Amino acid sequence: MEAATAGTTSPARPARKRVSDRARAERRLGWLLCLPAVIVMIAVTAYPIVYAVYLSLLRADLRFPDEQKFIGFDNYITVLSSGLWWSDFGRTMLITVVSVSLELVLGMLLALVMHRALVGRGLVRTASLIPYGIVTVVAAYAWLLAFSTPSGGFIPHWLGIDHDLVDQAHPVTSLLVVIGAEVWKTTPFMALLLLAGLALVPDEMHEAAKVDGASAWQRFWRITVPLMKPAILVALLFRTLDAFRIFDSAFIIGQNGTNPKIETVSILGYNQLLNRLNLGLGSAVSVLIFLSVMLIAVFFIRVLGTSRPGEGS
Amino acid sequence: MDGGLRNRRILGWAATDALVLVVALFPVLWILMLSLKSPGTVTDGRFLPSEWSLENYRNIFEQDVFTRALLNSFGIAAIATAIAVVLASMAAYAIARLNFPGKAIMLGAALMIAMFPPISIVGPLYNMWRNLGLFDTWPGLIIPYLTFALPLAIYTLTAFFREIPWELEQAAQVDGATPFQAFRKVIVPLAAPGVATTAILVFIFCWNDFVFAVSLTSTSAAQTVPAALSQFPGASQFTAPYGSIAAAAVIVTIPIIILVMIFQRRIVAGLTAGAVKG
Amino acid sequence: MRRPLLLLASVAALAAVAGCGSGGGAVELNFWAYNEPAGTFRAAAERCTQQSEGRYRITFNALGNDPDTQRQSLVRRLAAKDSSIDIISMDVIWTAEFAEAEWIKPWPKEWADRVAKGTLAGPLETATYEGDLYGAPANANTQLLWYRKDLVDGDPPGTWDELIDTASEMKEGGRIEIQGAQYEGTTVWFNSLIQSAGGQILDGPDTVSLEPEPTEAALGVMAKLARSPAADPSLSSQKEDQNRLAFETGQAAFQVNYPFIYPSARDNAPELFEQIAWAPYPSVAPGDAGKKAPIGGFNWGVGGSTKHPDEAFEAATCMRNAENQRDFALKGGLPPTLEEIYDDEAFVKEYPFAELIREQLRDAAVRPQTPLYSDVSLAIYKTVSPPSSIDPPKTAQELRTRVADALESKGLL
Repeated sequence: MEAATAGTTSPARPARKRVSDRARAERRLGWLLCLPAVIVMIAVTAYPIVYAVYLSLLRADLRFPDEQKFIGFDNYITVLSSGLWWSDFGRTMLITVVSVSLELVLGMLLALVMHRALVGRGLVRTASLIPYGIVTVVAAYAWLLAFSTPSGGFIPHWLGIDHDLVDQAHPVTSLLVVIGAEVWKTTPFMALLLLAGLALVPDEMHEAAKVDGASAWQRFWRITVPLMKPAILVALLFRTLDAFRIFDSAFIIGQNGTNPKIETVSILGYNQLLNRLNLGLGSAVSVLIFLSVMLIAVFFIRVLGTSRPGEGS
Repeated sequence: MDGGLRNRRILGWAATDALVLVVALFPVLWILMLSLKSPGTVTDGRFLPSEWSLENYRNIFEQDVFTRALLNSFGIAAIATAIAVVLASMAAYAIARLNFPGKAIMLGAALMIAMFPPISIVGPLYNMWRNLGLFDTWPGLIIPYLTFALPLAIYTLTAFFREIPWELEQAAQVDGATPFQAFRKVIVPLAAPGVATTAILVFIFCWNDFVFAVSLTSTSAAQTVPAALSQFPGASQFTAPYGSIAAAAVIVTIPIIILVMIFQRRIVAGLTAGAVKG
Repeated sequence: MRRPLLLLASVAALAAVAGCGSGGGAVELNFWAYNEPAGTFRAAAERCTQQSEGRYRITFNALGNDPDTQRQSLVRRLAAKDSSIDIISMDVIWTAEFAEAEWIKPWPKEWADRVAKGTLAGPLETATYEGDLYGAPANANTQLLWYRKDLVDGDPPGTWDELIDTASEMKEGGRIEIQGAQYEGTTVWFNSLIQSAGGQILDGPDTVSLEPEPTEAALGVMAKLARSPAADPSLSSQKEDQNRLAFETGQAAFQVNYPFIYPSARDNAPELFEQIAWAPYPSVAPGDAGKKAPIGGFNWGVGGSTKHPDEAFEAATCMRNAENQRDFALKGGLPPTLEEIYDDEAFVKEYPFAELIREQLRDAAVRPQTPLYSDVSLAIYKTVSPPSSIDPPKTAQELRTRVADALESKGLL
């Protein structure tokens, strides 16, 4: 954010004398240009989240519109004392940690390939953009249909397994398929973010270290990684927040959210809100998801010292 | 000897490239193969079709459900992209170019929204849309898409706009143009590539959405392809819908592949510009 | 905060292409229904459109394949007062919920009387809430014990214990196909079991019953079956259609399922079809077979916000007349709700278990009638499935807590 401010002032800083009029006009124009975007963003996020907090304090079940009443924190007590919330929360965290870790390792490898490959860099970039661009639901179907026996998945067929790998009776494989789909889909994005960081590592430092007799492995850990740390943290922040909100692939692979063995917190919220139409309880889940995401962001920014995107050098 | 080493390294890289290619494309290839199986052999568990057929494609295009969903997806994504890019261009210009208080708050807010869990506002939105009559309509999806596309667009565009040679604008202003005229006549053409890149990213984002689509629509009136896919009924009695799903999946993937192939460099630049360089 | 939102909404509304056309003359009625696999619901819509002589035109819109999906897509639109929902196919368990929320219209007396005339009492009861009729029973349903004559010697088992023991001892095909996934079908099974054991789930619309003894007896049967060699390895993910498929492919000697499997086997597995026999639904105690069997089916309801209630009531009544019901039964295997059809000899000849079905429908296990049924059912099937993890006393205790929470629309489900 600092960069943004600095960047704007430098080229056209007005002379001191003319500050008053020009500055005022500029200020007005700035506000005016930002206003529509701000209105839309506030109207569709700030207002609904405040509304969600309000709803979460009510007994608001659309099936009983006449029985709406204020019940304080009862919905939160219900959610936080429910085993289901905690098991879904644990599962979501597990998916997040496992898939983001895999993505970091694979993404780093992919970034190195994109950065260093002697041949076919363009090809690799194009190919890896396809998982990034493909509709998440489509990717999830590709994985679901490959692993599920009733739909004629080729993987159980190849492995000679006659049971379904992604049904309620097989929670571990179901979860692995969700993670697989997630990792496949988002590793390229991770790689691109890392690639941008990789480009900031000067070649001269590598050459110097080479002369000093450092191996490629040592150079990677002692030079590349420390210099890339800001980029790595930003990539991790983005992906962690994204992974924690996982909905699409778990919903599809879980047969429209009906496989409780791969239910995530977002699916839990969705089920309360749009299937049970219990807006009060569902909103409490929503608000808790929102708070979890905020906590993760704070953890990254404050504890790990991730620079906020846009704040870089 | 040096040449031999080089050749070996090239070979090594080629093998690595091939591996990346296979991993990246295998699931796409599988869904394509599945879509080309004849309806009777869809569930035979083979990777390659034993009977090649375009029957699944014929089926989905005969169904109103799919063609309407395709139209909805295109229309909604295009309108949302157009509005988002216009609004974001204005904001990004201001941020990159003008000095005014509140800029930091603006960027901070955009960032918060980019991190926002969509599921958190789906409930309130459903309730509001239900009362406003926006449930299951185009605007009912366009509005949330705009919101979530704006931070992405503002960040990407701000980064692009900083690269623009501003002297030209100053020159125009010296020639007597107002700041707005300078913006419109000089900067817009210069900014076009960045704007186009942003538009592609925003379009992909809207095209991809599932949470809002599945929550805020329910019929062909506004249901987009991802939502329709998840509720596909079988093409005929006792036929599982997997073949149709695969065919529809291939169709919605085609525009993405085309965009990626044409704008590969731009997309990479756009993605990293917004996120890392700021 | 409201104003900018409204402003935006209207701006966006202007930008959007709103598509909504209607033909002249005939009233357009949208019928949202289960996509009955033999296509008979669709056919009924077409027939009635023709018979209306241009007064209305019914458009058939398919909903998902299982009741949970159908309910999901309907309720959020009904709650949004969607006027394009004129007629819906309602699972019998939705009546109380939909009626209480005013998502469906009560039937005016003249139409209600026409519907009631000649309709079996059981199905009619499922469409009634607080004394008013809220749906026209289009088909009833009940489960039978289907078995293979070539694999089962002598009389078919009458109780669950006999069934499980017989199947477990069989050398070949000793499998019982039954529903055990986390979904409505498992609640259906549990509800029949507990009633057969002399208990029930609820005492009234808002009080839990679940007496320990019958509850544990019911859970005991489920656990025993799930842990016996007769259980399908994928019991915990099986629904009716997977059962049908497994039975048709010759994997099982027994199947507890609805009669739709009969015409399906005739089409898909003609050889096996010759060997299919049926027996009354098993009971917990000896001598009660055929009592407290599941009752299901669909009622046609009229949407609470429809613009054409008169035509909708008329069309709904037409789509459940004797001609259509006979079609549902013969092609789709769905048992009729009209008494006269069961007395029709030509019909009985093609639908040989008709009398058994009529018998079972007389004393069937109706599922709890409460506006919170879907929550109650969720609480049940999430607790008892997978059946292999049932520990009767512990699970019974858990059930009581969760069902009680569900009745206060509390508890995450």
